[in-house]
Amino acid sequence: MAINSRPQQTWVIYITLLMAIILMILPLPDLLRLARPEFVVMTLIYWTMALPERVNIGVAWFTGLVMDVTTGGLLGVHAFSYALAIYLVARFHLQLRQYPLWQQAFTILSLVFLVHLVSMLNSAVYNGWHIWIPAIVSTVLWPVVYAVLRKIRRNFQVS
Amino acid sequence: MLLAVLASLLLFLMDARLDIFKPLRSALATAVYPIQTLASMPTNFTDWVSDMFQDRDDLRERITKLEAQALTQKVRMQRMQALERENMRLRELLGSSFRLQERVQIAELLSVDLDPFYQHVIIDKGKQFGVYEGQPVLDSRGVMGQVAEVSQFSSRVVLLTDPSHGIPVQAVRNGLRAVVTGRGLGEPLQVEYLPHNADIREDDWLVTSGLGGRFPVGYPVGRVTSVTYPPGKAFAEVSVEPAAQLSTSRELMLVLPGEKIDFSLKIPPVDLNPVPATDTPLMLQEALQPETDESPVPSGDQPAAESTPADGN
Repeated sequence: MAINSRPQQTWVIYITLLMAIILMILPLPDLLRLARPEFVVMTLIYWTMALPERVNIGVAWFTGLVMDVTTGGLLGVHAFSYALAIYLVARFHLQLRQYPLWQQAFTILSLVFLVHLVSMLNSAVYNGWHIWIPAIVSTVLWPVVYAVLRKIRRNFQVS
Repeated sequence: MLLAVLASLLLFLMDARLDIFKPLRSALATAVYPIQTLASMPTNFTDWVSDMFQDRDDLRERITKLEAQALTQKVRMQRMQALERENMRLRELLGSSFRLQERVQIAELLSVDLDPFYQHVIIDKGKQFGVYEGQPVLDSRGVMGQVAEVSQFSSRVVLLTDPSHGIPVQAVRNGLRAVVTGRGLGEPLQVEYLPHNADIREDDWLVTSGLGGRFPVGYPVGRVTSVTYPPGKAFAEVSVEPAAQLSTSRELMLVLPGEKIDFSLKIPPVDLNPVPATDTPLMLQEALQPETDESPVPSGDQPAAESTPADGN
């Protein structure tokens, strides 16, 4: 960790978050739509694990708000669920870092499930099993996302 | 964390319950418009590329097809005009105010996917084109939905398939009125609260009834695909396939205000008196006094009718 805690290259973080948001609204065929992995949650989790003093509940909440407005749901739903998930990650980030990747992936499973549960409780439709698909796809994709984001972080020396 | 929870709860409440929040929401939606445009770029680009590389034969074939289509539609329009005029005349005789022609504005879909729990789309016309909340949205085949939120450069449209959307309809065959609601992604629409003895069948066409004052009268909503009467339930289960191509239409039409249908069901005084009489005397009586009645009735209707939908909004 940096000794001087001045933010360095923080913009990289925001760029990755922006890319994740764009990935979330990129048009997909209907079948794949339900399986869309939670890129934003994964990005937030990665940055919180890596740099908890840069990305925390506040950033997560704000990103959630942006997601709410872009996807046009009730304001605050994404904000709330993201903040909740990131709270857990920030609380246990030291343990999470020590976990092997596959174990981290299972944490992702539960966190993405949590996020979806919150937005599903809010929505009018109940389609129970659908909610598991993004969680599982995100879990499978976690190692990839992790590798890409770590590469980005090292390349730009974000700290 | 506590702060975030409190802020979220505050947002839930304000967004769901208060109207004060609308301008802020619209401003936020304007702020994220660049993100949405950015996300729709890849699709636009691939569309553009495939447009560029279409070969001549394809284009020629399409042109011939479209010309043939235009021709048949022109022929049909000629008949339509005559029928429309006749319809107007008959309605004038009955003293009900009714407009058949609406002006529309073309809008294009922004290709972004929104929350799969909601059935919403974003279109590329906003406040700067005078789009307003509740404005009906059509495509070439039927009703698509209505505008739910307007920001500066874009607006959000709720589709018929959204579970929170309902639209008043009537059956073409017998004029049966009902409300059609959405059931979410990939599900057919359903007709609500029809008792078991209601006269509705498969292949009945449902069109907008204009009740409620939001949608213009007579646009196709959908076709009934199945009617079942589950025993032990109070209402029939009626599935409707939407007429509009909700998932493939790229160009949509916004019905312009001012041309709004007034279906305020005001019965002018002339109508009331001959009601007990049979149909033919009624027609005759009114036909006999058109010189005196025709001019005051429509002009008297116009201002009142325009204010009624405005109140509804």
